[in-house]
Amino acid sequence: MLLNFLAEAAGIFNEAFASGMAYLGAGLAMIAGIGPAIGEGFVCKAAVEGISRNPEATGTIRSTMILGVALCETTGIYAFLIAILLVFLK
Amino acid sequence: MSFLADLKFNDEIFPSELIVSLFIMGIIAILSFVVYFKSKKVDPLEKPKGIMLLAEMYVSMMDNLICTNMGKQYRKIGGAVYGFLSMYLFICLIIGLLGVPSPITYLYVPLSLGLTTFLLIHITAAYYNRKNYFQRYVDPVWAFLPINLLSMWAPLLSITLRLFGNAIAGYVVLSLVYWAFDNIRIGLVSLAPAAVIVTPVLHVYFDIVSGFIQTMVYTLLSMALIRNEVPEDLSNQLDKEYETEVSKFNSMLNMEEK
Repeated sequence: MLLNFLAEAAGIFNEAFASGMAYLGAGLAMIAGIGPAIGEGFVCKAAVEGISRNPEATGTIRSTMILGVALCETTGIYAFLIAILLVFLK
Repeated sequence: MSFLADLKFNDEIFPSELIVSLFIMGIIAILSFVVYFKSKKVDPLEKPKGIMLLAEMYVSMMDNLICTNMGKQYRKIGGAVYGFLSMYLFICLIIGLLGVPSPITYLYVPLSLGLTTFLLIHITAAYYNRKNYFQRYVDPVWAFLPINLLSMWAPLLSITLRLFGNAIAGYVVLSLVYWAFDNIRIGLVSLAPAAVIVTPVLHVYFDIVSGFIQTMVYTLLSMALIRNEVPEDLSNQLDKEYETEVSKFNSMLNMEEK
């Protein structure tokens, strides 16, 4: 019954319906923001443990950590890109 | 943006981001010519000053990165390629501070950078393997052919979308913030003067910090992906040669101080 209602609404209010579903899709796309947060937490945990064991190598560990964080961030950026495309270009 | 517009030639459109890209290449060309003509007049045994100091720091940093991450055989050609690409990418991502749209927001520019890395990887693999290059597509069983064909495009897509996504995210967020400060009013008083405090902070993160990190990621990732194609024994031998060279240089420096 819900699907029938949605199909009828799609037929009558075509443009507003598409716009509404686009905003809904943009919201759903940002659920992917949870992934990079957890992954970067693991990277920084390993970095802090490494520095605590060997404070001399802190420069190398820091740059490796930044590299790992930027690589983890990629899928979050993909999700943000899809959300921006849906909101501004429908 | 207000002072840059697309050019139109008879039905074709030359976008404004590519004008900015040509401008950046002009800056790099002028800097290169200045460094070249100065390097002929400078005495190599004295300490460098001014622009020669920056040039020497940059060249020695790129040399170190290439020799540790790619191997000694790429010393000259890698320095030329990655020296230019990393400087071009860094200035492209920083040019948002001047208020012009960065070339990376035009999809074909990060695609070209990704294609450069992609071609370098496959040409290196073909150079070292000759006919065995096609073994990687049928690796365990013949039935794995579609999976391996799809996975060869993964580095290209990830590099392109990472650069494009970061540039577009910064550009859209800053455009929204400027639009908001233009159009919000409280009674008759507009909110525009508060933009002087808020927008520089956003500019520092989205342009400078993000630009520096993405340049580093692109350079190190490309070097690591190319190093994977070089066979192991050649790579280990060249690593040892470079280590002996570095230790000799360091011991020479220590002896000079005494």
